[in-house]
Amino acid sequence: MTIPPSSAGLSRIPLGIRVSALARLPRTIWAGIVGAFRRSLEVRIVAITVALSAIALLATGTYMSYTIGNGLFQARVDQVTEESGRATDAAQSLFDSTTAADDSALSVLQLQVLSQVKGIATSSAGVALQRAPGSDVGPLTLIDVSQGGTADLITDQLQAETSSGPDDQYFQSVSIPATGSPHPGLIVGSTVTVPGAGEYELYLLYDLADVQQSLTFVQNTMLIGGLALILLIAGVTWIVVQSVIAPIRVAAETSRKLAAGQLEVRIPERGEDVIATLARSFNGMADSLQRQIVQLAGLSRVQQRFVSDVSHELRTPLTTIRLAGDVLYDNRSDFDPTSARTAELLHTQVERFESLLSDLLEISRYDAQAADIEVAPVNLVHLAQEAITTVETLADRKGSVLQLVAPGGHFEAEMDARRIRRIVRNLLGNAIEHGEGKPIIVTIDSNATAVALAVRDHGIGMSRADAERVFDRFWRADPSRQRTTGGTGLGLAISLEDASLHGGWLNVWSAEGRGSCFRLTLPRSAGVPIESSPLALPPDDAPHRVEDAR
Amino acid sequence: MTDPVALPARVLVVDDDTALAEMIGIVLRTEGIEPSFCADGSRALGIFREVGPDLVLLDLMLPGMDGIQVCELIRAESGTPIIMLTAKSETADVVRGLESGADDYIVKPFNPKELVARIRARLRPYSGDAGTLKVGDLVVDSAGHEVRRGGERISLTPLEFDLLLALASKPSQVFTREMLLEQVWGYHYKADTRLVNVHVQRLRAKVEEDPENPRIVMTVRGVGYRAGAPA
Repeated sequence: MTIPPSSAGLSRIPLGIRVSALARLPRTIWAGIVGAFRRSLEVRIVAITVALSAIALLATGTYMSYTIGNGLFQARVDQVTEESGRATDAAQSLFDSTTAADDSALSVLQLQVLSQVKGIATSSAGVALQRAPGSDVGPLTLIDVSQGGTADLITDQLQAETSSGPDDQYFQSVSIPATGSPHPGLIVGSTVTVPGAGEYELYLLYDLADVQQSLTFVQNTMLIGGLALILLIAGVTWIVVQSVIAPIRVAAETSRKLAAGQLEVRIPERGEDVIATLARSFNGMADSLQRQIVQLAGLSRVQQRFVSDVSHELRTPLTTIRLAGDVLYDNRSDFDPTSARTAELLHTQVERFESLLSDLLEISRYDAQAADIEVAPVNLVHLAQEAITTVETLADRKGSVLQLVAPGGHFEAEMDARRIRRIVRNLLGNAIEHGEGKPIIVTIDSNATAVALAVRDHGIGMSRADAERVFDRFWRADPSRQRTTGGTGLGLAISLEDASLHGGWLNVWSAEGRGSCFRLTLPRSAGVPIESSPLALPPDDAPHRVEDAR
Repeated sequence: MTDPVALPARVLVVDDDTALAEMIGIVLRTEGIEPSFCADGSRALGIFREVGPDLVLLDLMLPGMDGIQVCELIRAESGTPIIMLTAKSETADVVRGLESGADDYIVKPFNPKELVARIRARLRPYSGDAGTLKVGDLVVDSAGHEVRRGGERISLTPLEFDLLLALASKPSQVFTREMLLEQVWGYHYKADTRLVNVHVQRLRAKVEEDPENPRIVMTVRGVGYRAGAPA
């Protein structure tokens, strides 16, 4: 018995994920899914679990479907061959017992045989009796009969096997045309010998729609069961993942709060498992962090208190000295030359001491992070003009000409006028002191995010190494250099702090013998970061050596 | 108020640092101002009543009672100008001092010229005699140093009076804080505009019927202040 490989109607795959459908989702949804996959650990774990279970279920389902299909088919084949065998035997014995001597009697017999066959092969859907090609032609002839469209479905191969093969029966799967989709079917062919008429082939057609139906039912049941199982797995995974992730989530939220400054937050410690260990370690870390921060805050308070106390304690006697020195200074014309000069020295040095003290206090305020900024709309061009006016006398004395060039910056930006004025005066003072009487150019310009002021002198300049240290406290380019304006050595350090407090920059370019350029860049609106400075550093008129510090 | 030209002006110096107080005394005497001294906060009010000074120089940090409290006590019974001496220029201290009623403040260390200029500015009576002016429903009598609403006299310190008079004398003009600092306080350079803010608040508390919704001293956003239109 041959079971042909093409078992029609039994090769459907019951389960499958149509992956291509996902790719056709609108882009935003797709991006949303990808985003959720990347962001959420739960989604990722559940998706992976579901995918792996689906693959396992698909493989099991395919195997089960194939086995069940095969079993059902084989059982039906056995039933069909047994039934048609009996029908053939009955037909043969009817033909053998015939006494028909003419065609009409044979036709009557044929009808009897067919009804007998149908009586035996009750599950057949059609029957055909046709003359085997090439059989000896006897005196009598039977007309080929076909019921249920059986003759149309007989293939040449089946016919050839039936007529010339050694076995009693041959069968082949066929597709029975029907309304809707064609039904799977089976044709069993066998030969009968009709006395006086020769070899005839008897074909019985069986409709396997019921087998297909059973298989489809089994497949559907498996599909629904599989989907339900996957949903169940997804649900269980979700719950399990949640129970593991919830403490991690609490830990993440707690660290976020801790980082935001809520030092008292802790994770609840429950049980003895790894999560509880995490909670305990985390809380230990938070405790130690809180202790240190409180300690530091205490130190900072002590520092600020100290600054405040020094401020008061030192300033009161200094005021007395200042008043006394000034009274002496005002009366110096009445003194002898030595006392008069002493009074002058006292006067200038008290002034210097005073500015040193106020700079020191300012710097300690920065160190204690007690410096506060009071922003108001300020026009940097006006501010620079005023600052230039205040230092013009000094500039005249040194022979420097101050020039203001402002292609931009004619608007009000949010800044602390007192601090910015201090920076500008300081830069101008330095430029005059080190400018060797050459012209000093103040440039102001702006762009979308920033407004900048650059003070360019053409004096002695500094080496690269010196320029890098220019913002250090009490640093002087050349210790032997003569000082005329009596700076405190803290000016640029304070200026840098002032600029940083605004979220701005203070940069320097300098080259020996070519002068220096200090550039202050401030954000156009407070809190909006600077993208780039509107003014170039090194300045456009400078040689190409770049000496950019900070 | 005593005319400083006719009689020497009298200034009470309240400071616990005797060296500084004495030095201030020396400076004031050379300027023809008569100083008197008090080194203890708790005794300051008694000496103030006894001396009846034209102006008080008040240190913020004092033994016994701090400068802020002394300032409040003096202000409760007199409009005598008070200038605070402070070692701290931080916002909170200065504003607290000004809110307690001080007219002006000087940050230590100061020089004699600065001190004398601040004292003179507060002793100088308002120069302009603009006759009788009307602001909102108020009548300002510049010669009599009096402000009235209906028949009721409103008591203002000389500084508050000067501030109101400055605004009222040019009702159409908007005064920037810097202009007021120059005209009322006598500052000829950039000074602390908080002085103006605090004193406008104090003035409003006295002259406005609803200080939240001022009709006498109007704020011009982003510029400064101006007098309300006569009712």
